[in-house]
Amino acid sequence: MNRREAVTRVAWILGGTFSAPTLQAMSRWEELATKGKLQPQAGSFLTETQQAIVARVTELIIPKTDTPGALDAGVPDFMEVMLRDCYKKPAQDTFLAGVVDLERKGFLNLPPDQQTTTLKQIETEAQKSTSPTFWLITKELTLLGYFTSEVGVKASFDYQPIPGRFEAIKIKPGQKDFMYGNQA
Amino acid sequence: MNLNIKSEKAQTYDAIVVGSGMTGGWAAKELTEKGLKVLMIERGYELKHVEDYKTAMKDPWEFEHRGKISNVAAEEHYATMYFSAKEGSQHLYTNDKEHPYVQKRPFNWIRAYHTGGKSLLWGKHTYRWNQEDFLANAKQGIGIDWPIRYEDLVPWYSYVEKFVGVSGTPEKLAVLPDSHFLPGMAMTAPELHLKKSVAQKLNRPITIGRVAHLTKAQPQHLAVGRTDCQFRNRCSRGCPYGGYFSSLAATLPAARNTNRLMIVHNAIVKEILLDDKTQKAKGVRVIDQNTMEVREFYAKVIFLNAGTVGSTSILMNSKSARFPNGLGNDSDQLGRNLMDHHLAIGARADIDGFENDYFFGARPGSLYIPRFRNWGNDKRNYLRGFGYQGGATRADWSRGATETGFGGDFKQKMTQPGPWKINLSGFGEVLPNPDNRFYLSDDQKDKWGLPQVVFDADFGENELAMRKDIMNDGAEMLEAAGFKNVVAYDNPVAHMGLGIHEMGTARMGKDPKTSVLNKFNQVHACKNVFVTDGSGMTSASNVNPSLTYMALTARAANHAVEQLKARSL
Repeated sequence: MNRREAVTRVAWILGGTFSAPTLQAMSRWEELATKGKLQPQAGSFLTETQQAIVARVTELIIPKTDTPGALDAGVPDFMEVMLRDCYKKPAQDTFLAGVVDLERKGFLNLPPDQQTTTLKQIETEAQKSTSPTFWLITKELTLLGYFTSEVGVKASFDYQPIPGRFEAIKIKPGQKDFMYGNQA
Repeated sequence: MNLNIKSEKAQTYDAIVVGSGMTGGWAAKELTEKGLKVLMIERGYELKHVEDYKTAMKDPWEFEHRGKISNVAAEEHYATMYFSAKEGSQHLYTNDKEHPYVQKRPFNWIRAYHTGGKSLLWGKHTYRWNQEDFLANAKQGIGIDWPIRYEDLVPWYSYVEKFVGVSGTPEKLAVLPDSHFLPGMAMTAPELHLKKSVAQKLNRPITIGRVAHLTKAQPQHLAVGRTDCQFRNRCSRGCPYGGYFSSLAATLPAARNTNRLMIVHNAIVKEILLDDKTQKAKGVRVIDQNTMEVREFYAKVIFLNAGTVGSTSILMNSKSARFPNGLGNDSDQLGRNLMDHHLAIGARADIDGFENDYFFGARPGSLYIPRFRNWGNDKRNYLRGFGYQGGATRADWSRGATETGFGGDFKQKMTQPGPWKINLSGFGEVLPNPDNRFYLSDDQKDKWGLPQVVFDADFGENELAMRKDIMNDGAEMLEAAGFKNVVAYDNPVAHMGLGIHEMGTARMGKDPKTSVLNKFNQVHACKNVFVTDGSGMTSASNVNPSLTYMALTARAANHAVEQLKARSL
């Protein structure tokens, strides 16, 4: 059993509804438990070009369609905050290496279809890895940043902060997922 | 009232209650309602019901880290690292860096030093213990016999249940006696399927979790300002509706209504003061956690409700000529037989089908599968048993991180309910073992000069043998329902304390030579000191303990008042 799987198991045990970034955090806690100390990071660690690459990648993951996209939800800034505050250096390094790799490939100058192709290649490569990759970190932070943002929640879900009851129901055609805002 | 008045008379009460959480609230309610003037001493800061639940109404996007714990917070809250602290509730968990403890063997000591204590953070599962729970030690020659039986607690279970408000469904099972119930919560379609399959194929009952939520508030709940549960499942941020039971929402308002309750905050009880002449407790000495000022308060009777480790620590630190090893420690049992429930083990599965089934609302509870091992004719190679909590839900958007794909269609797909999945999570009984203990450090102190607690406890052979069954039986039930990708799991990092059901260390018993407390939770050798939280437990059962603590507290308070009236204390 690798560590990620171990951590996934813990998440299941303790309620079952932990999201991927929480698993990351729990993985970090596990290391904290064994090594005892964390060094908080500070400041942006991306150049302007790198920030533009990250922005482009997030918008390709969650593009603006008839509903808002990652940029509308402020995902790139959110990702930097999360990487700085909630991720440890190995994950930050993995993320940064991925951005640098895209920079080397001239990602921003590629036509949109080739940008998509590049990300698909990265995704395929990432699926072979057993440890967190640039792709996994980027994708889970993009999803978290978008699907818990105000524009993302309101455009995507049937948001019910005060449901008032619990009942088993049948699904309606085109049913959006209910969100209760209890993840925090 | 000015608490700086120095005269002894002004600082004298009928009763002192140390701690404002689950059992402290009950002690204060019962003692004040029976006419006593009560001083409650809380070591942490003052937290006000409703107005101090600062995060309760926040939307997800209002949290900087969208609920995740930052590196800095994780370092400060190391004891909760595998538990439920999130951005919305982390401020209600005690900062472990400021309140350090020593782990000779690993222990998660999860605390909540503020008004309400852990009653704000508990899982709310509420079960009566059964007859066997109080008999098993004697039958099996484990530890010592309980000085009480299930029947002694029945009227007190009833009494506290009506005030607490317990939702559940009656099942008439000897292994899980029914409480007085408010309507039980609903099950989802796959859960009903599991219930039916497990009943038919394995003859095991499954019921809806019994949780301390108001599914239909009664007059006694409305009278203290509580209303029905709103199914938001944001409980750990504090509930502004009083939908679940906490001392803040329920027992403390009831006690305040008597005008006989006084609460002092930020006061860490250093020790209980003994009257040399009478050999009874006469009061407590406290340290203000902010100003370091030392004060004394006096009373005829003292209730320790500081949480298992907290209460026992106070007894240990209360040394005198009569009790050189800690108050009531003639038996050398203080700190021993530390128990918890072992967990972080069970089985999970994916569920095909049920695509047209869904649910509305965030249920703050789960299924419950009562103990079936070593029950009736079942006989295993270990003692005691376990139960499961768990349930089925549909995956949300976060499934997308590990699913292939991105882009517009992917985004659209994540807005729809995902596939069903199910989890069964076991909770096993831990046997009392005198070598599982904590003690006070000789050299390591906290910033108030009080000795740090040293934990030296772990699970034993009996617990480890039981864990194999917890995994296999969980998987067997999920397979009986035809669910797929069944995985039995055992979390290798689980250790004591994670259950936050720490029990024992000042056990009840008939014989003062082998126990600390008598059948009314009084210290054998100092009868005006009552300890009515988890520290008195003689064994641990496998079901959640809070209801039993509450029943014991109400019973002890009643006894204390009777004894005071009879001038026997």
